[in-house]
Formats: sequence, C-alpha cells, structure tokens
Amino acid sequence: MRILLVEDEEKVSRFVVRGLAAEGFAVDAAADGKAGLELGTTYDYDLIVLDLMLPGLSGTEVLRQIRRSNHHVPILMLTARDAVSDKVEHLEAGADDYLTKPFAFAELMARVKALLRRGSVERPSVLRIADLSLDRLSQQVKRAGRRIELTAKEYALLEYLMANAGRVLSRTMIIDHVWDQSFDGATNIVDVYVRHLRSKVDDGHETKLIRTVRGVGYKISDETD
Amino acid sequence: MNTRSIRFRLTVWYAVLLAGLLALFCASVYIGLNQYLKLTLRDSLAKEARQIGETLLVNISVSGEDYVDDEIKEHLAPEINGTFIRITRSDGSKLYESGPPRDSSFDPANVSATRADINQESSRVERMEGGSGLLIATVPFTLPDGTRFVIETGALLNQSESVLHGLLLTFAVGLPVFVAIAIAGGYFLMKRALLPVGEITRTAEQITSRRLSERLPVAATGDELEALSVALNKMIARIEHSFRHINRFTADASHELRTPLTVLRGELEAIARRPKLDEDVRETVGSALEETERLSKIVESLLSISRLDAGEALSTPERFDLAELAASTAEQMRLLADDKRVTLQCDVRGRAEIDGDPGRLKQVVVNLLDNAIKYTSNGGKVSLTVSTTNGNAVLEVSDTGIGIPAESIPHVFGRFYRVDKARSRQMGGTGLGLSIVKAICTAHGGSVSAESIEGQGSRFTVELPLANNGRDHEPN
Repeated sequence: MRILLVEDEEKVSRFVVRGLAAEGFAVDAAADGKAGLELGTTYDYDLIVLDLMLPGLSGTEVLRQIRRSNHHVPILMLTARDAVSDKVEHLEAGADDYLTKPFAFAELMARVKALLRRGSVERPSVLRIADLSLDRLSQQVKRAGRRIELTAKEYALLEYLMANAGRVLSRTMIIDHVWDQSFDGATNIVDVYVRHLRSKVDDGHETKLIRTVRGVGYKISDETD
Repeated sequence: MNTRSIRFRLTVWYAVLLAGLLALFCASVYIGLNQYLKLTLRDSLAKEARQIGETLLVNISVSGEDYVDDEIKEHLAPEINGTFIRITRSDGSKLYESGPPRDSSFDPANVSATRADINQESSRVERMEGGSGLLIATVPFTLPDGTRFVIETGALLNQSESVLHGLLLTFAVGLPVFVAIAIAGGYFLMKRALLPVGEITRTAEQITSRRLSERLPVAATGDELEALSVALNKMIARIEHSFRHINRFTADASHELRTPLTVLRGELEAIARRPKLDEDVRETVGSALEETERLSKIVESLLSISRLDAGEALSTPERFDLAELAASTAEQMRLLADDKRVTLQCDVRGRAEIDGDPGRLKQVVVNLLDNAIKYTSNGGKVSLTVSTTNGNAVLEVSDTGIGIPAESIPHVFGRFYRVDKARSRQMGGTGLGLSIVKAICTAHGGSVSAESIEGQGSRFTVELPLANNGRDHEPN
C-alpha cells in the first residue's frame, strides 16, 4: 500500500511518515502543493493525505485538480480549521474524509484504514479476543463461555474497542464514535464507562483485556506488553 | 400613539409655541385696540370740551349763563347722544350739568364731584352702575378776565367695549381652530419627514452579525437623514471590517496553535508506541500527552467561543424538542451520576419546541449536568427540569453540591474563571465549559443565569425563545 502525504509542516510530516511506515505503508511526502499535485497525478497511490493549508498551491486547489484528472484515489484532508462550512466545502470538492488538527495518531490510522478498506467491507458478525466474544447479530457478549450482561452504551463501547482490537483509541475517538461530539465537555464519561465495562469483562479473569494507555486512551488486547 | 416619539413631542412643542405666540399676538392686538379706542374717544371729548370753552364760555359775560345752557342743549344734546357734560366754576358750583341720558345708561348724579383747582387737562374712567365705564375728559378753561371754569365731557365706553368684546370672541374661537389646524398639519408633515427614519430602523434591525454586508438605504435628499444613513453605513462598514479581522485572526490563531500541538502530540505518541519503554518514561510521556490533550481542548473551546460570538458556529437552525433532547442527554449521563452515588432526577413535562442547533444545545445540557455532578458529593441530588413560560423554553439544572460563593456568581461564565482554583483544575476541564454554555445560549437569542447558596447547592437556568410558527427565528 502506497500513501502520499502532502504536508508543509516538516515536523508533522516527519511523525506521520514514521507512524505510517511503522504500520507497514510505503509513504511519499511532498512539502508543498505543487510537488504534491505532481506526485499525486503521476503515480497511482492507494491513498492521499492532504493538508489544507499549503504554500503556493492550496490544499483545496490540489484536491480539485487531482479530482479533475479523474482519480478515484481516496483523499483524507487534514485541516487546522474546523468551521462546519469548511468541512462541507471540502467533502463536496471531493475529499473522502477530514481530520482536524491536532489529531491523535490512532485516529489518523483508523481513518486511513477505513478509507483503504472501503469497497471491501468485511464486517465479521462475531468479534473475538482471547476468550471474549461479541456476537453482533444477537448482541451477546461471552467471556470464557459465560454470558455478560451489558447496557447499550457498554455494548457499543466494547464493540468499538473489539472492532479496533490491538489499536489504542483516544477518548475523543471514543466519544465521537459511541456518544457524539456534544459530550466532549463531559470530563470523564469515557473513563467511568470503561471502568464499568472493565469490571464486567475483566473481573475474576487472570488476563486483563481492556487496557489503559496513559495519555493516549484505551485498547483491548490479549498481547502482553 | 407613542407619546415619547419625536413626532409626537415635536408636534406638542410646536403647538404649545404656536398657541403661546398666537395668544401673545391676540393680547397685543386687544390691548392696542383698547388703548387706541380710548385715546380717540378722549381726544374727541377733550376737543368738545375746549370747543365749549372757546365758543360758549368766552361770551358768558355778554350772553349770560342761560345762553350756555341753551346752546349746549341745542347743539350738543347730551341727553339724546348719551353723553355727559358738566361745567364747574372755580368755587366748585356747577354752571351746567347734563341730565340723565334718554336710555338712562348712566346717572350723572353718580359722577364724582369736580375738583375745582385742576389746571391741567386730564381724563378718567368712572364705573357706572350698569357696569360700563364712563370716560371723562377734564379741561380747565380760563377767560381773558381771569374767571376759571372746569369743563368735563364724558361718553360711555360701551361702544368701544363691544368692539373689543367682538374681537375677543373672534380670538377665542379662532385661536384654538388655528392651533388645531397647525397640530394636524404639523403631525402630518412630521410623519412624512420621519418616514425614512422608520425605514432606516427596519433595515438596521435586519443587519445582524451574519448580514453585515448589507447597508442602509440612502436617499440622496441632502438632508440630515441622508447624513445619518451615510454615517451609520460607515459604522457598519467598520464593524464588518473588524468582524472580518477577528475571524481572520481566529483562523490564523487556530492554525498557528494547532500545528505545534499536532507535532507535540504526534511526537509524544510516537514515543508512547515504542514497545520497550521504562515505566517512568511511559508515565512522563503519558502525563505530557494528557496536558497536550487539555491544551488542544482549550484551543478548540476558545475558537468555538470566538466563532459563536461572531455568530458563525451554528449549523442551519432546525426545529426540535428541547425537553426530549434534555431527557435523552440526562439518560446518557446517568452512569456518571450513579458512579458518584448522586441521584439524577429528570423532570420534563410537555414539549418545548425551539429552532436551533441541537448539537450545540446538547453540549449546553452536557456541560451543565457534568458540572452539577462533578461538584455534588455522594448522596447528593442533581435535577434537570424543562418547562415553558411566556414564549421561552426554560431549562434548569440544580444540585445539592458545594455551591458558589456569592462574590463569584457574576464571574462564573467568564473565560477561565475558576471558583476554587486548586480543586477545579484537579477535576480536569478547561475552565471554559460555562463560557461555552453562555456563548451557545446567546447565539440562540437566549440567556443563562446562575444562582447559588454556598454549601447548599447551585441552580443554572437557561432560557431560550420557543419556536414561533409564523415568523422564522434567526439565531445570530
């Protein structure tokens, strides 16, 4: 999988490239709009991550020109502005998704993977981690064969964690996914729900599946660190 | 009728001024005419008296006193003409006195006695029993031989008085009529003159922060209203300019702050992802990440507030039931309350339809409930109610928590204001939650207020205009 990153901020570019490379992607980086447009229209990328504010040629312009040359490549916009009108404008101009700076790398990763998966949607009906299973059809959760009763929100939270097993999910990602953006102001709602979920899933079991990554968020995993 | 309007007040002022001036004018005409009539009468009376002296009295030594009597009766006939004539000798005895006039309009006997020592022409008015005045001219007359007489001629003033009465009547009827016509005319003219003001007012009301590109109509009349419209338009242009400036600043600041935060966060996360990491390094990086997250939230919140204040952070208003939104939000936050063993009571009756941005208003409910739960200790109670009162939806969040000191209440909606600095920072949060609540309420044309008794609890009240089915409410 080959990804083009068009980002003028050198440091942002550096950690995104490193992060994506660590996940096994081949990444080309362009530092301005012109170079980005050239690379983007020359090579056949699987995904383009495009910053909105670029020197020379603006991100919006690069987006339009890449789309005009009829490329079906998925494009993820990075923006430091989050006015609703901006988002709508860029989605209409042909961006497939957008991410507001500053973002958690985990979130960038999640969106990149979602965009790449698009078309070949695989949505297993049963999710499994170690001896924990979640059946999306019957909405039943079992650990070591014993059924666990969850509230609707706890179920949604667990499903989100298990669908992204092994990946750290930030509080913002969890709030946006399980609740909605309005809950950003509720300081510890995620922590409270995770604690309750953890007591139902992990209490009495030797392997603790739900883990806290300090400063980053939560993940579900059976690997030992 | 609006009695405070310029139109009304100016008309009243002009009417009072006009009535005053007209009254003054009438009074001067009346007084002048009165004087003129009296003067003319006096002059003719004095002339008559002198004539009596010069034509009759000069010959008295020759023709005798009866001649005078006869001559006066024949030529002047005071009784028939209703006039008064009296000739007095220097010793005070009467030489002649006219009898009562035929119409008995006065009685000569009532005229006061002559003072014989008068040596100067004079005149006086004596009130007669009928109420009318008798104007009497007194002329001293000395014969060549030194014999002195005092000749008095009098006439009733009632003739000139009736002229004056007529004038007074004309004034009394005419003045109010003229003033009334002037008021009506003035009121109408003021209406025409102030018509453009109404138009300017209507247009100005429509110019909100979202429609600052609009301008007032300027009619090239060269009058004060044109100058006013032009001046207001210049002011709107300046406001538009500073709004643009603020918006550009907001966008620039957002970019400038977010980029380094992105880098900071990305680099720290890259470290945190390394598999083999000392526990204390992991702790430090985690702590740094938490602060980065908080910094990001503060930046985001500040930008949200700026944009709400500039009237551009709301989505297109849609109609929804605030009561339902509040109830469902409270349900979603119930676990937070349960976790702290705080009772969350939700009392929502009926519907409260409003036009607005449901996402933003949900944020209001979340922030208020989160605050209430956060500052209420175990066993306490938080209650949420939604009701409607005259045109407003009222959302109340009250708690039995620690409360807010009275001196802090005016500041709780201020940016970064913390009632108890150590405690609230420990709780996390940005210090902007209530500022955002206020900005959202204001942007919806509503308000939020706080009341509290320290140690007993607080109550936050949000009031938002209910959707009215006719006119579209426009949040700004």
